[in-house]
Amino acid sequence: MNDQVTISPTTLSILLSINGRDHALDVEPRVTLLDALRERVHLTGTKKGCDQGQCGACTVHVDGERVLACLTLAAQVEGRSITTIEGLAGEDGTLNAVQAAFLEQDAFQCGYCTPGQIMSAVACIREGHAGSDDEIREYMAGNLCRCGAYPNIVAAVRQAAQELRS
Amino acid sequence: MTVHDLKHAASDSARLEAVGGRLSRVDGPAKITGAAKYAFEQQLDGLTHAVLVGATIAAGKVTAIDTRAAETAPGVLAVLTPDTIMELRGASDWFGNPPALSTYCPLAREVTFSGQHVAAVVAETFEQAVAATALVKVWYDETPAIVDLSDGKAGDGIAIDAMTKEWGDAQAAFAEAPVRICAAYNTPREFQAAMEPHGLIARWEGDELTIWEPSQWLDGMARTYAEWFGVPFENVRLVSPYIGGGFGSKALALAHSAVAAAAAKMLGRPVKLVLNRPQNFTSYGGRAATRQTVAIGADKTGRIQSIVHRGVNETAVDGMWVEPLGSVTSIMYATPNFSSKQNVVRVNTVVPGAKRAPGENPSAFGIECAIDELAHELGIDPLEMRLINYAEQDPHAKKAWSTRQLREAFAAGAEAFGWAKRSPQPRSMRDGRQLIGWGVAAGTYPVRRAHGEAVVKIMADGSVVVESSSIDMGQGTYTILAQTAAETLGVPVEQVSVKLGDSHFARAGVTGGSRLAGVMTGAVYKAAGQALDELIGLALSDPRSPFQALQANTLSVKDGRIASPRGEGPELSIAEFMAAVGRDQIEAKGDTMPANSTPEQRYKNYTTIAMALPHTEGDWSRYSWCAHFVEVKVDEDFGTVRVSRVVSALDSGRLYNPKLAESQWKGGIIMGIGQALLEEGIVDRRHGRIVNGNFADYMLPTNADIPDIQTISVGIPDPHSSALGGKGVGELAIVGIAPAIANAVFHATGKRVRDLPITLEKLI
Repeated sequence: MNDQVTISPTTLSILLSINGRDHALDVEPRVTLLDALRERVHLTGTKKGCDQGQCGACTVHVDGERVLACLTLAAQVEGRSITTIEGLAGEDGTLNAVQAAFLEQDAFQCGYCTPGQIMSAVACIREGHAGSDDEIREYMAGNLCRCGAYPNIVAAVRQAAQELRS
Repeated sequence: MTVHDLKHAASDSARLEAVGGRLSRVDGPAKITGAAKYAFEQQLDGLTHAVLVGATIAAGKVTAIDTRAAETAPGVLAVLTPDTIMELRGASDWFGNPPALSTYCPLAREVTFSGQHVAAVVAETFEQAVAATALVKVWYDETPAIVDLSDGKAGDGIAIDAMTKEWGDAQAAFAEAPVRICAAYNTPREFQAAMEPHGLIARWEGDELTIWEPSQWLDGMARTYAEWFGVPFENVRLVSPYIGGGFGSKALALAHSAVAAAAAKMLGRPVKLVLNRPQNFTSYGGRAATRQTVAIGADKTGRIQSIVHRGVNETAVDGMWVEPLGSVTSIMYATPNFSSKQNVVRVNTVVPGAKRAPGENPSAFGIECAIDELAHELGIDPLEMRLINYAEQDPHAKKAWSTRQLREAFAAGAEAFGWAKRSPQPRSMRDGRQLIGWGVAAGTYPVRRAHGEAVVKIMADGSVVVESSSIDMGQGTYTILAQTAAETLGVPVEQVSVKLGDSHFARAGVTGGSRLAGVMTGAVYKAAGQALDELIGLALSDPRSPFQALQANTLSVKDGRIASPRGEGPELSIAEFMAAVGRDQIEAKGDTMPANSTPEQRYKNYTTIAMALPHTEGDWSRYSWCAHFVEVKVDEDFGTVRVSRVVSALDSGRLYNPKLAESQWKGGIIMGIGQALLEEGIVDRRHGRIVNGNFADYMLPTNADIPDIQTISVGIPDPHSSALGGKGVGELAIVGIAPAIANAVFHATGKRVRDLPITLEKLI
């Protein structure tokens, strides 16, 4: 046990742009983007699996790139564009091609890792890393799935990549 | 029990929505858009956050806890210790046996394992609670711990006589057998590692408690909470709409659950408590570490004369877990002589628990490796070896199999895999520096059965609502119950909504042992049939019914429209009919309990496992079966093993939804690949502590570890196993994967690795 821990009462007023909407938050500097999303903004689609950057369940996009929300402080991403699973479908509810492919290929069971898988898959395709099944496996390997939907995830990413190319 | 021919479209199973159709998950859209709110994601006013403090010793006493610094930290509302947390009553176990002690304290004074909860901090925010736990000072009087099965202090343990299975004279027959093999097989401590951590939100309103908690058993857990707090069962409501994976770990209310509920009561505010990832490795039991010896005596043609099996599993110092290690050993092969005995050994761990196919999984690792060793000894193909010793009936129960499509599984799997092209000698197949190995193993899981209950409502607008306190943790319950109701009632599946995961709905027993689908399709079939009978009865007899004038004996409902089977007279949608007769809804509650069951028996049926129906009840022995064919590639220089191909043929009886069943099978196979090659809880021998309790160091399979997997259904409807002919799906496929891989590694390398996981240092 550490006597030296100091607890700062400081709070920051920050403005986060999430899924195209601005959210004004008063948070302590130590609040992660993941906890800000889930506990403050009540966007619980982004999941907390390990809170240690090991499972990928909290994957979101910051300025279009995939990041782990549990290893990102909320204050770090002020002024940047954050996209979560809730912001992926069109305004009219039209599913993103990756979401539709996940449903069709049954690329999930319990669904808990799924938002992170989908956010990773969207970025994986955008990065140009969905060229072959082996490449998809490698570039999706940072998102754990304990239900073991991996073969179906590969099929879904392959299908969505083909649709987005055509 | 008989297989019911469904009234509608039984021959029309190509339709997606029919039972047996490949309908996509009906809960899928919520899960892929982030709209699915899991249990502890509910937003409540005044929510507080609790974080646990775990013991840093594995054995001893807590002598003092200094909470002063934590109590004055910003935002802290309470620091709970064994001395300050409210006293709870003891709760009965999952069989319904009364507790040994009348009181229960979920925070430990006597520490029996590292990480055991000794204190908890409740604060306004999660961050404040986490920070304040670092200020809680705990002093211990440490005593020596028994760290694991190989600890010198562990001893031989306690004989579990109920596990003994014997017939013939196994020892003598083994001694006289012309061909003998005997080897020891070990499996390590393994963890369920569901992606959603354990946790809950607890809220009291007066003496009514609501718990939002991921749960495989709402009614069982509600009973435990009710007993802990001395409130009526009806006062506890458990809500668990989606479960982020369970694999056996989420069926019981545990110590952390009690802490959260007690804190909520003490503070008068709702409390959220979620175990952090390392705490998920110490707060509830994974699969116990096991040791087995398997001795097989055979004649020179390969016919088994005797099997002598001894097993040991670890359990806790203050709790009992028996992992039934002789479960597959005793039924897979025909043998005239058999002996299996088992001990359990107490070590300083949290009580081990159920992980996917408890018992069958490690049991199969022993016998399915041993049969491979015998085949090699005799120079017989390992697949042929299994057919030579094929059990035509249950060798232990001496009863006929209800259905056993294992021979068909071997044939279909071998054909798809290309087994006939296997070169028998180890190290005889290679691809450059990669040694190639082909292995086979069988798996099985008993058909666990229970009584179930469901409510089916036909609403005024023609929609149908199914309600049950059973759950969907990814197996597809929402989907198959929608299919069952739609087909039984004759309505489009889009008109059916299934509501699960609320203990105020119709009762349900545990979702475990692969029983839920069989139990609940049976219950929904019955309830939907009753609702349909009532609808048709009303249509024939109600004076306001447009059908009354027909003087017909019956009516049919198809695609949501009611008509005479002969096509005469009116045709109405259900909504039009409900309006005509002025009804808001038709509700039917169906259950599969015996008609004369008492309320006490019903309560016991749903809140304990004491009334489960034996799988060898009556004239039949009921099991699911599978055969796995695996190819591995082993790097000759580095000993790294990669699974490059899996073909599995499985007999789960009739599949209610093949698309979802195949996903579960693949999931079991993948968890089995992790078990074979990656997963091992490592205990620090100085402190008795799990040192790899996180997702970086306890290695789960990743996408890059998993090859293409082909699954083949060889099941046929089993009229003795369930109302609609299905057997178990969820646990079957993991059974036999680890031995299939171990056998393939032997074929590739000539090295027999008998303790899991098969890591590179064991091969070089």
